[in-house]
Amino acid sequence: MLTMSEPATAPDANAPASSLEGDLVRRARRGDLPAYDELVKRYQERIYATIYHMTSNHEDANDLAQESFIKAYSALKSFKGGSSFYTWLYRIAVNKTINFLKQRRNKHHLSLNDLDFNAEHDPDLVALISDKTPTRDVNLSELQKKLNEALLKLSEPHRMVVVLHDVQGVSHEEIAEIVGCNIGTVRSRLFYARQQLQGYLADYIKS
Amino acid sequence: MSEKNDNFDPLKQLLKLKRHEIPPPGYFSNFSGDVLSRIRAGEAGGSDSIFERMQSSSPFWSSMLALFTAKPGIIGGLATSVCVLLLVGVVLLDRSDSGQAVADTMPGQPAATVADSGVLDATPALASAVPLAPADAGVGISVNSNPVTSLQPITAFGSEQNPLFQPILVKDVH
Repeated sequence: MLTMSEPATAPDANAPASSLEGDLVRRARRGDLPAYDELVKRYQERIYATIYHMTSNHEDANDLAQESFIKAYSALKSFKGGSSFYTWLYRIAVNKTINFLKQRRNKHHLSLNDLDFNAEHDPDLVALISDKTPTRDVNLSELQKKLNEALLKLSEPHRMVVVLHDVQGVSHEEIAEIVGCNIGTVRSRLFYARQQLQGYLADYIKS
Repeated sequence: MSEKNDNFDPLKQLLKLKRHEIPPPGYFSNFSGDVLSRIRAGEAGGSDSIFERMQSSSPFWSSMLALFTAKPGIIGGLATSVCVLLLVGVVLLDRSDSGQAVADTMPGQPAATVADSGVLDATPALASAVPLAPADAGVGISVNSNPVTSLQPITAFGSEQNPLFQPILVKDVH
């Protein structure tokens, strides 16, 4: 991110980045592991985060994220470039996660990551646990636990759209491409999921 | 749907808490190395199930599989239907073979001679289905002992016998 002290002459990041990524993908398809290592480093945080938010379990997220990248490497030859590499990779991770969760239906075990230092200073969160909230004594850890438990009550397709859109900021269009449905379905799932969450978390949401 | 129910701003604020959840320090420093180690160890060898491969290869199959997963009764019904059709097919085939064998072994027609009775004894349906030729043509049918059964014209031997009541004779065919 540029600060005021940096010159505002940054080149167009999109064109060089996409051509660089295309080059990395081509090289990785030919078996160039250092090139694939670069791709993993580019997307490891986002892929891990999506899986973690879906599973609420760090160990499961670690395994699934690694397996997603391993599978993506073995399936590189089938990547035809119709979508961006990122979207294609995301689709692999999403499918793997949903399959995993379906097999473990109703057997959730929370293994939550810690909150970073900035959480206590986030104005939105501070407002939530202020004396204006219905439950005054709630702290962030309890809120985190309740939030994850509520998310796990949603079905996988509904949880996925909430995680992708409301947590990770992915657009409706991109979600539709990742999940393999139309934008209307994404919007309806998102609305329904939010309604459900609102009900589960009514005690913790400021009215 | 009341307007109050559509106001998801407080919920969105709460969901931002998820963005503050971070893995242990240094986690991502080793992540890519672990992935590549596993790739080098040969784990990227298509260990996925057919299910996963179909999901990644085509959105059509992905949606079909999602349908079957959501409604397992559909796949159960399809499987049952396939089994029933197979059974019906086998029964009909068996009946038509029996009918053909009866028609082929009408009086006046010679029995077939074969090179390997073992094969036909084990496969009575095949034995009964072996086509027969008129005795005066001096031509019969032989079945050799190769796994791929072949039918070759041979010179008829022996007297006329009804294949339904007589064992199939073993003849060497040259």
